[in-house]
Amino acid sequence: MYLPSKTLPYRLEMYRQIKRKRTLFSYLFVISLPVIVALAVKFGTSGNSSGPTRFGSGTADLIGLATKGAANFTTTMFYFATPFLLIAVISIFNGDTVASEASWSTLRYLLAAPVPRTRLLVQKLKVSLTLSLAGVVLLIVTSWVVGAITFGFAPMQTPLGVTLSNSIAIERIAIIGCYLALVLLSVAGLAFYLSVSTDVPLGAVGGAIGIIILSNILDAISGLGSIRNWLPTHYSFSWFDALSSSIDWSQMIRGVSYSIVLFSIFTSLAVIKFNKKDITS
Amino acid sequence: MVRIRKLIAAVLLITSIGMGSTAYAGTNYSTQDLRLTGAGGVALDATIYLPKATPAPAILLAHGFSGDKTSVATQAEQLASNGYVVLAWTARGFGNSTGEISMDSPNGEVADVSKLIDYLSTRKEVIQQAKNDPMVGITGDSYGGGISLMTAGYDRRIDAVAANITWNNLRQSLFPQNSNDPALGPYKKFWAGTFFALATLPNSLAGECGTFTPEWCNAFKDAVATGLPTAADVKLLEASSPSTITNRITAPTLLMQGEADSLFPLSESIKNAEQIHAAHPKTPIAMIWHSGGHDGGTDESPRLHQAVIDWFNIYLKGMKKNFPTFQVTNTNGSISLVDSSVIPKFLSSPNLPLNIPTKMIPIAVPFVALVAPIGGIPGAISSLPGVGSALALAGNVGGVTAAFLPGQSGFLESAPLVAPIHIVGPSSIKIRISSNKTDAILFFSLVVRTASGQTKQPDGIVSPVRLTNIANTGSDYTIQLPAVVLDAAVGDKLAIGISTTDQGYALAQDGRQYTITAQSPITIPQIIFTTKVNRVSLYGWPITALLFILLAFIAIYVRRPRHNTQPAEVSDALVTVSNLTKVYKDGYKAVDGLSFEVKRGQVLGLLGPNGAGKTTTLRMMMGLIFPTEGEIAIDGHPIYPGSPTLAKLGSFVEGSGFLPHLSGRENLELYWKSIGRTDEPFFEEAIRITDLGRALDKKVRSYSQGMRQRLAIAQSMLGMPDLLVLDEPTNGLDPQQIKAMREVLKSYAKTGRTVIVSSHLLAEVEQTCSHVVLMHRGRLITYGTMRRILTKAGKRAGTLEEIFIELIGDDLTIGKDK
Repeated sequence: MYLPSKTLPYRLEMYRQIKRKRTLFSYLFVISLPVIVALAVKFGTSGNSSGPTRFGSGTADLIGLATKGAANFTTTMFYFATPFLLIAVISIFNGDTVASEASWSTLRYLLAAPVPRTRLLVQKLKVSLTLSLAGVVLLIVTSWVVGAITFGFAPMQTPLGVTLSNSIAIERIAIIGCYLALVLLSVAGLAFYLSVSTDVPLGAVGGAIGIIILSNILDAISGLGSIRNWLPTHYSFSWFDALSSSIDWSQMIRGVSYSIVLFSIFTSLAVIKFNKKDITS
Repeated sequence: MVRIRKLIAAVLLITSIGMGSTAYAGTNYSTQDLRLTGAGGVALDATIYLPKATPAPAILLAHGFSGDKTSVATQAEQLASNGYVVLAWTARGFGNSTGEISMDSPNGEVADVSKLIDYLSTRKEVIQQAKNDPMVGITGDSYGGGISLMTAGYDRRIDAVAANITWNNLRQSLFPQNSNDPALGPYKKFWAGTFFALATLPNSLAGECGTFTPEWCNAFKDAVATGLPTAADVKLLEASSPSTITNRITAPTLLMQGEADSLFPLSESIKNAEQIHAAHPKTPIAMIWHSGGHDGGTDESPRLHQAVIDWFNIYLKGMKKNFPTFQVTNTNGSISLVDSSVIPKFLSSPNLPLNIPTKMIPIAVPFVALVAPIGGIPGAISSLPGVGSALALAGNVGGVTAAFLPGQSGFLESAPLVAPIHIVGPSSIKIRISSNKTDAILFFSLVVRTASGQTKQPDGIVSPVRLTNIANTGSDYTIQLPAVVLDAAVGDKLAIGISTTDQGYALAQDGRQYTITAQSPITIPQIIFTTKVNRVSLYGWPITALLFILLAFIAIYVRRPRHNTQPAEVSDALVTVSNLTKVYKDGYKAVDGLSFEVKRGQVLGLLGPNGAGKTTTLRMMMGLIFPTEGEIAIDGHPIYPGSPTLAKLGSFVEGSGFLPHLSGRENLELYWKSIGRTDEPFFEEAIRITDLGRALDKKVRSYSQGMRQRLAIAQSMLGMPDLLVLDEPTNGLDPQQIKAMREVLKSYAKTGRTVIVSSHLLAEVEQTCSHVVLMHRGRLITYGTMRRILTKAGKRAGTLEEIFIELIGDDLTIGKDK
């Protein structure tokens, strides 16, 4: 008996992906950031004194506050991870997922089995998004643990001069984590679209990372004015608004909404394209 | 009258011609230096800036205290570039103007400006609304802001006002009283002294009073000597205060005030707005609280100058522009997205901060005891003229700061906040004070005390009070706390800082003791700010997002591939290929009108040279490639991608496909679990037939080509499907393996199932196949039993090529090129 709804079950696809070295290395990549930064601060020395290495120019920015405690360390890791690390990890998980099946030739056997095409994409996307979310959670947990071990549990000091108790800080970090996970959906969607478009996994992953880096660069050119509001990464740092005494949600709502808009566009294009595609890989 | 006016105009004109005029290359305005006559014959040094396009509205641009017309040159050039005639002049008593400083008094500086308006009415470059009524706005900072408001009150010809960091009432500014006690407050000696020095030192040759009028000079001496002005002095202060004439102002008024301003705090702009609004509710008023001010703060001049231009554009040029009624800079409001440093946040509200809704914050620590030291020394430092908040400067040592000295200061504190609060505007509290004396000078401020013990006093702004007639049993007062912009987080305490000393003020010289108890909660303002995003887009964005999710589903549904799912005519054939054609996107016709049938139990060989279209045909049979025309049916059901009929088909096409990081066994198991079967796989049979053996538990990565091939064929047989479709199963195998493969197929066919094998080698399929389809260039060449094909070829041919040569000559060119 053949049941289309039983094809490529979520847990099975998860198992197929988790067993990959790629997944392991991506997560090691995420874990390494807080560990390396913490080690550098703890054991490194600055040029002219024996004190611990200092980041940034002042004490008022996120980087300068990194060593205050676990909560501050975690937000600083968010700051470091937002422009590249998380984007790379999310691009890997979502850009590699279909293209790698094509490159292994497993895609045609799944489709001939048959796994219905839309279902294949949906199942793959569910798993790659879960892995991406796990990457964000892993970053938070490792940063917090490494921060706590290295710098203790002092309450969070934000660059705005606000002190947030640990319970509030954890709440804020959770909000920032959720925001990042949602605002990076646009990256996931883009990578997934590219994954469906090519049989070369590196092309899909690299293409997504390249486009996002280009978007980051364009976003830094103030001369472009309000055009920048439409760049996929324009709102990636809007979680800063969660660091004030009372959260201003307006930019974050825009960021999440725009990300969902882009995600909807990219994933629907991916499904439409894949449903009409001749599988020649 | 008219004649006289014309005469005056002519004289003034001659004066201006005498001064010469300059048009600057590269700028779109020209300037003329003028010497104009003010009230009482005072000579005023002035410059007029003329834009290219005239007539244009005029702007009177006033300078700050101790400056002159050159100190506003940059702003004048900007206004002129924006199409305004700008008249900048040096106020009497300063620079190259003659006369004495009378602090923007009606008979002095205000009368001068009326003369300047007269002059503007004679200039043809200025738009004239009526005789002697030019279209004119007035703007300036501080002393210049004062003259702007004063003139707007006294001279009805002013059409728009923009006043920055200026006062409402000089008595209140210099003797601030922020309680309901009717007495004058303590003398703001530091600021008053600074200003007196600024005006007198450069003119010290003129005597101790410099260019001040004798009345103002005496008022200063009285204040220094006694800390209290005489009745005449108070009259003088009042006369130079906009508060006396705000009820006459009908010109649209933009009020800008600095948050870092201990001289003219934010409350001055509230009073100006209140009074203008009370007298003429229809007068347009806008207010900007920026992060600058007399204490320094953060300079926002470019933004403010643009706001002034916008304001004049609306009310002098009639442009349509959205100008927020109330804008506030929250200096530490947000974090830069560029480098995570702290940057201001701009808040705006459609309402002025008048009749502000309030909220009560209960007091948890309602009692403080303080002493005022003899002689007022040591004195606390809250803010320094031109330097800013002492807290920001001095840092914070063990919770003790220069602004709050131990013993001389205390805090009435709220409980730790359970919700963050954002305060913009003035707060108030009722207190009861008792003392060993009958009067008291105290400095109140609204502060935030953080959990880590820091005290944050916004911009070092304090509310000085002088309380008189304190009863033995204590007296109650309402204290107006400073208007501030302040954020407090959860866990912080909102507190009222009380200090008995402040170095900026004249203090009592004897020692005192006070006990102060809070008699009410703290009343804080509750202004609703809309940040730049308005509510519509705040809801609009999520709705848009939901809409796009919906659109995505609709698009996927609308653009779904449509398949013919109608069962074909009943026939005894297992596979029916009818008129199958595939043209690739690049125009290459891989399969062209192919039709044949495969019956149950047959072993069909699909034969043809490389590029004949065999693989394309088989891929279409597996639902991987869309036919351009025609269709394939299996068991009467049309084949399309995802068609359930495909489950009856086991396939191997163009090499194996496995997860390289898993073992052969895991690959087979995972494959079976991923294809939606509820039945058990014929695992052992498939392995036995393909003779995989122990290699099954090694990672696929380490497999040889032949091993992979056999594993792939085992995979295709797992479900023992009715139809096995194998594309070039012997490719890349050595002769032994080919022989083994042949056995594999034979043993599979023995079970009575159907097999389709493609190959470009006849010899390979000759011994296995019962039927043959011969293809060339996508077309069917011949089709029938193996025996018939071989017969057709005349004699037993060794290779496919030989059969082809027999059948179609030597047109064996392969691939796309014809």
